[in-house]
Amino acid sequence: MKKKLSMLVTMTVMTGLLAACGSSNGGNAGAENAGNANAPSNAPAAPAEKVTLQFWHSMGGDNGKRIDAMIQRFNESHDNIEVVGTFQGGYDETVTKLQQAVASGSAPDVSMLERAYVEMFADSEVLEDLTPYLEKSGISADEFTPGLMGHSYFNDQLVSLPLNRSTPILHVNKTLLDEKGLAVPTTWEELEAAANALVVKENGEYTRYGFSMPYDTWYPIAMISQAEGTFFNEDKTSIGFYDNGVGMKVFSQLKKLQGTGALYYPPSTDSGNIVNGMFKEGKVAMVYQSTGSIGGLASAVDFDYVTAFLPKDKVFANPTGGANVSMLAASENKEGAWEFIRWMETDPQGALPFILESGYLPFTKSMVESQEMKDLWAKEPNRKVAYDQLQYAVDTNNDVAWPEVMHEFFSAIEAIMYDSKDIQATLDTFKKEADRILAD
Amino acid sequence: MDKQRLGETLRPYLMIAPAMAGIFLFVLYPVVFLGYLSLYDYNLMNKAKSKFIGFDNFAEIFSREDFYKSLSNTVFYTAGVVILTLLLSLLLAVWLGKKSKFNVFVQAGIFTPHVVSIVSIALVWLWMMEPNLGFLNYVLKAFGLPTSEWLQSSKSALMSVILVSVWQGIGYYVLILVAALQSISPSIYEAAALDNASKLRTFWKITLPMISPQLFFILVIMTIGSFKVFDTVKVMTGGGPNNATNTLVYYIYENRTTNIGYASATGVVLMAIIALLTFVYFRLLSRKVHYQ
Repeated sequence: MKKKLSMLVTMTVMTGLLAACGSSNGGNAGAENAGNANAPSNAPAAPAEKVTLQFWHSMGGDNGKRIDAMIQRFNESHDNIEVVGTFQGGYDETVTKLQQAVASGSAPDVSMLERAYVEMFADSEVLEDLTPYLEKSGISADEFTPGLMGHSYFNDQLVSLPLNRSTPILHVNKTLLDEKGLAVPTTWEELEAAANALVVKENGEYTRYGFSMPYDTWYPIAMISQAEGTFFNEDKTSIGFYDNGVGMKVFSQLKKLQGTGALYYPPSTDSGNIVNGMFKEGKVAMVYQSTGSIGGLASAVDFDYVTAFLPKDKVFANPTGGANVSMLAASENKEGAWEFIRWMETDPQGALPFILESGYLPFTKSMVESQEMKDLWAKEPNRKVAYDQLQYAVDTNNDVAWPEVMHEFFSAIEAIMYDSKDIQATLDTFKKEADRILAD
Repeated sequence: MDKQRLGETLRPYLMIAPAMAGIFLFVLYPVVFLGYLSLYDYNLMNKAKSKFIGFDNFAEIFSREDFYKSLSNTVFYTAGVVILTLLLSLLLAVWLGKKSKFNVFVQAGIFTPHVVSIVSIALVWLWMMEPNLGFLNYVLKAFGLPTSEWLQSSKSALMSVILVSVWQGIGYYVLILVAALQSISPSIYEAAALDNASKLRTFWKITLPMISPQLFFILVIMTIGSFKVFDTVKVMTGGGPNNATNTLVYYIYENRTTNIGYASATGVVLMAIIALLTFVYFRLLSRKVHYQ
């Protein structure tokens, strides 16, 4: 009896599954057919076929709503193209899913791609070269903000365009600095002096630190380029901050500051939120943090909040972050996919409202020159600082092997910042690992 | 050939065919494919760029320090979790063995963490273990005890993860052991009492052997489970600091996007280790287990 029952259950489940598979295919076909039927009446001039595009992105929460609104604007203004946006989790998750989707031939037409992974995908030749499309639409590559194009080219192919981009910047609690009569630091020395002056120690414990930064490779890389080092060397066979002593200098500086409480280095997990929380509560006076935090911090703090360029050592320099948008080479609707990308990048109703609301950086000249952007900058000068800093943007970690090297770099950061391991020995190990990966 | 005979020979195979198809598709095929991937420098997205490299992936595994680091972490973690859980759950089970309202209440309390998702548990512990603002250090300070860096230092990070895993898993094993204890026939204890056996002796000679099947079950299940630990590591430490909590499965996970061939080879190694462990357990310990 029991066996019969379980058999019955299994059969039912199996049939259910099969039916589900069948209906999901059928459902799609149905939707497309319906679209075909409607298209002619809505837009007589449009091609007979209404195409459906899949767009994957990594924006959840409020930014996800903004992306959805953007997709809706597109669909309303395009009768013959329907874009379906899908939130695929964070950047890394999207990358993993995209890899598998490409392997199984079910990749979307257009996808958001964290800029550091662009090279990896381009190397597998799965991204469409956008150069011809750009030419056909009469858009010059100069239209895009140069500082944000560092991850766009691969072997002279234009494989991605900037979308939601950010850069690290110095966030300052000016009220605290004013109390001590300090100016906003512009160099490493000034930062060291100011941060040390702001430390408050009570009963042997720090109740206020000078400055902080989330646990990320971003900030050490920023400091490496400020000290005129590069992450990878020019021919990408090794790292570019070892032989010249830049790595030693950067991490010695960080350790020195950490030792006096001038620098609070947060635990690795959830470090961004921890650092932001401490900044809001006045427990750190300054933080290195993404421009993407400006909106959230500005609305949450009651002190005088300003932003400034990351302090320079020899030069001002900062990496960029965030994600680009790419077209998958396997897409069957490339014309439609390009129209969506073109519209996002250049149409005033495209990504511009999303950029204005979210705090990501404007990435085209017309965006920067738009009235909306000027109004916003007049109201929130902090946002303008972020854009102005882009003149110093430099990315020296572009390589197919970066995601793999990044992991080793994190280990090195942890060894130095958490375990206070010998800096030189740690860098030795890191160089060895990086060389091994780069040799492949 | 007799048609009826043929039908009878074929029927059982026909009957198990659906189940076998499932096993082939979802168990055997993935395992074989894993082995296949492990021999390649595999490019998931563009097969034309994949290279057959024989056993190079395995050679790389056994020459890389971070693999040995994650292997020793896994062994340490497994030993810690298994020993602590076994001891504590045995202790608690003996204590809670007698049925009373209070004991039922305590048992429900211990079991509760097992019901909650491990991700939520890991997150809550993550906050409690924050060195500066966290609850644990606050309590330690309040009692004038030395505080710990918990997850932030590579010295204490693995211990902290073990602590959370034990805390989460213990209720379930207590439940199994309590059930086992209650199923021991009282007549055996009565006989021992008549013979004036001491409590300790009763425990060693009667209780332990009688619940040895359950203990053995827990040992095997927990060893395998702990070897595959992932969620707590992923949520609480991301393998850090400085690889101090990087376990084998997390190591595989980390390499999945950048080097799937290498990750697969590590998967094969993990499979071999677990198979070996299970085999050893069954050979060595099964004879000591007393089945009624």
